[in-house]
Amino acid sequence: MSTRLELRGLTRHHRGQHVAALNGLDLDVNAGACLALLGPSGSGKSTTLRLVAGLDQPTRGTVLLDGDDVTNTPAEQRGIAMVFQRALLFPHLSVIDNVAFAARASGMSRRDSRAASQRYLELVQLGDFADRCVADISGGQAQRVALARSLAAEPKVLLLDEPFSALDSALRADMYALLRSIRDALNPTIVLVTHDQSEAAAVAEEIAVLIDGVLEHHSDVRTAYVRPSTLAVHRLMGGLNEIPGSIASGVHRSELGSHALPADIGARDGPATLVIRQEVVRLAEPSASSITGTIESLQSAGIRQRARVRVGSSSVFVELPPQVSAAAGTVVGLQLPTDALHAISTRAGGAV
Amino acid sequence: MSSPAAEPGAWRAALWVLPALVPVATILIAGLGSALLQSLGLMPLVGAPALTIDAYRVNAGDIATSAALSVAIATAATAIGVLIGVTTALTAVAGRRWALWAGTVTVPVPHLIGAATIGLLLADSGLLARLFGLSEGGWPALVGGRWWIAVVLEYAWKESAFIALVVAAVLATRVAAYDETAAVLGASRRARLRLVTFPLIRPAVVAAATISFTYTLGSYEVALLLGRAYPEPLPVMAIRLFTSVDLATRPQAAAAAIVTAVLALLAVAGALMMLRRSAVWR
Amino acid sequence: MSRVAMSRVVRAALVLWFLVPLVPILLWAFANRWPFPDLLPQQWGLDGVRSGLAAGAPHAFVVSATLGLAVAAIATPAGALAARALTSGRLPIPRVVEAVLFAPLILPAFAVALGLDVLVLRTRVPSPLAVVAVLSVAAIPYTTYLMRVAFGAYDKGFEEEARTLGASRATVLIRVQIPLLAPALSGAAFLAFLVGWTDYVVTLLIGGGRMVSVPILVASFAAGTGNSSVVAALSLAAVIPPLILLTLVARAGPRTGTST
Repeated sequence: MSTRLELRGLTRHHRGQHVAALNGLDLDVNAGACLALLGPSGSGKSTTLRLVAGLDQPTRGTVLLDGDDVTNTPAEQRGIAMVFQRALLFPHLSVIDNVAFAARASGMSRRDSRAASQRYLELVQLGDFADRCVADISGGQAQRVALARSLAAEPKVLLLDEPFSALDSALRADMYALLRSIRDALNPTIVLVTHDQSEAAAVAEEIAVLIDGVLEHHSDVRTAYVRPSTLAVHRLMGGLNEIPGSIASGVHRSELGSHALPADIGARDGPATLVIRQEVVRLAEPSASSITGTIESLQSAGIRQRARVRVGSSSVFVELPPQVSAAAGTVVGLQLPTDALHAISTRAGGAV
Repeated sequence: MSSPAAEPGAWRAALWVLPALVPVATILIAGLGSALLQSLGLMPLVGAPALTIDAYRVNAGDIATSAALSVAIATAATAIGVLIGVTTALTAVAGRRWALWAGTVTVPVPHLIGAATIGLLLADSGLLARLFGLSEGGWPALVGGRWWIAVVLEYAWKESAFIALVVAAVLATRVAAYDETAAVLGASRRARLRLVTFPLIRPAVVAAATISFTYTLGSYEVALLLGRAYPEPLPVMAIRLFTSVDLATRPQAAAAAIVTAVLALLAVAGALMMLRRSAVWR
Repeated sequence: MSRVAMSRVVRAALVLWFLVPLVPILLWAFANRWPFPDLLPQQWGLDGVRSGLAAGAPHAFVVSATLGLAVAAIATPAGALAARALTSGRLPIPRVVEAVLFAPLILPAFAVALGLDVLVLRTRVPSPLAVVAVLSVAAIPYTTYLMRVAFGAYDKGFEEEARTLGASRATVLIRVQIPLLAPALSGAAFLAFLVGWTDYVVTLLIGGGRMVSVPILVASFAAGTGNSSVVAALSLAAVIPPLILLTLVARAGPRTGTST
């Protein structure tokens, strides 16, 4: 099931629309890898999946599977399976017959197709549900059956279009674990579309960010958090700290003072915004720090607290470790670990 | 009607259904009951009521022939209607809805007008005969001929539009998403039709076909205009006896009407059995 | 033949199947003289139309229109209320009620009219009233079904939202429920109208020959020979008004709102 997927210059204008839903997407997914396609609503993520699956035709561009051009191959012949947001289990078939559908459609007898599909049902831990009626199972179970159904088609690439968004968080955690065990067992190539960065991080090794139909970032997970290509990507990944300033000779100057940037960023001189993850900033004694500020407010983020520290006219968000508590109005010092610093060049007078 | 507190209880719901239920029940029971009683001699125009099945016996042979003819016409017309109707609905799925629109145009046409115009089309001196340049004798007797072809075609013509609209509605709402799902699971167009589309539209097709079949069974004006004098379908026979000067034929007319109603009920029973079987399997 | 070409041929054939039968009435309605082997009328004209008008077409038109409107006026609200009751989930013995409400669809109308005629005469109910009653009963399955589909798709959330915004029961009815249900109501009314407009058998049997609707008028001419142009002209009159109504209803029609 491991196939390399390549997208070259993929562009799609919806019928009658002038603005492209997807504009010149170049993306590679290695065999057996899991890529999360992240982006806000309307960014072209689902459009991309539909083009890869063959349900829509691209205006321009090609889709390649292990080097073969499949752009003109109809969906049913591509060997690409897709799980949708709604499970869409066939209402007139039982659970096992749903999973066995691909086998049936390829000509296998009912008995053989059922036997062959049982293992996929077991893979999603619903082995006992084979003869159940589709109407009698819960939403989470239905989504698992849909997953089994797609896997049973033994696809070259598995596409998941926000498949867990309708499930509650406990169920979602189960599904992530399930996805991991499926990857261990079958090693499929997976593209997962999601709008949730934590889901992307939990499930995938690579993250690609689409904004307004354009690919703005493609890297492994950690880099997406720490070295986002643009401010929009940074915000999408949940980053809160943006300090405007400028770079000269590898040093960023702003209200927070001068900070040497890591060498591997390749920073250009000129106006730039300093970004650093709120989880990485540390509080310290004001006397021991080069930056001091006042805690303006505290907000709970789960079990932790997030402090908003005012430095001059800028705000720095700090996520406090669980054992540390602070009070509003306290003067604190901030420490910004150098290797976690990142700067994004901005054009004069405009945000990126 | 709006807030949970005012949600109609059983009494309220029963009240709301009465304006429709009472007239329907009254008219059906009064009409068919009266016909039944008349056919059994219990509601004679003159004389005292006396239970008898003479009305059925006297005409038994003719009733049987007429019944067979009615059923044959209805079956042929419904079969053609289903074939064309389902095909029409399927062509409309992909977005080019010309055929469905053309079908919709025929819906407001009364059956009587349909019979008149198809008569003008298919008669010996009709439009098609002229188109093919076939003179007297060369054009088959479609109107008033031995095989009731014009009659069957008129019913099929109207029924196909009705079935097309019913099936198209089901396709648009229920089937579209499942078709894509089946495609990404590798099912070819034929496999998708066989495994997804047809099973999902089957209940709607059975329902629409049953309604069309029973309508054709009880339809009068088309057979009147386009059929031949003998044999007669049941409704034609019944109304001829009903409007005849000889009042003694009234019970026989009622008998023919009751037979038609019974045939219709049998058809519905058959359809329900067909539907139930698929539900059980599910 | 490629798949695309094949489906185009099929579509064209289907369009012909539905529309060709309507061509004769278009041609014959304006044909003064059209002797046999000719493909097109020798002489065009309005003789057929004039004969139709002279034979009482305007009166028949009024009769048919009144029938249609009366049936629509009765069957639409009855069907809407019944559909509301059915979808409320609180109706006792719903299956039996449904079976009764939809029975007119499958029972032969002529049989009901035939049996009812004697009763109508004996009870001295005016025949137009009886005809309207029977046709309304025939139309109720259609209106009930359409409104039931509409109520099924109807989201109570709209009502509830309006009430939290301070709308009274009456305002909710007028400004929320009726606008949301208007497309379905107009569709149901149209179908009911058609039942009244297109009927032949019930008007014939119970109307006692005194109610001359457009189908009855057409039949009286169609039974004879040589009346093709009158029949065609009257047929046009029978077909065009409902077609106009159909386009109006379709314009205001239900937004299907299907998404894949």
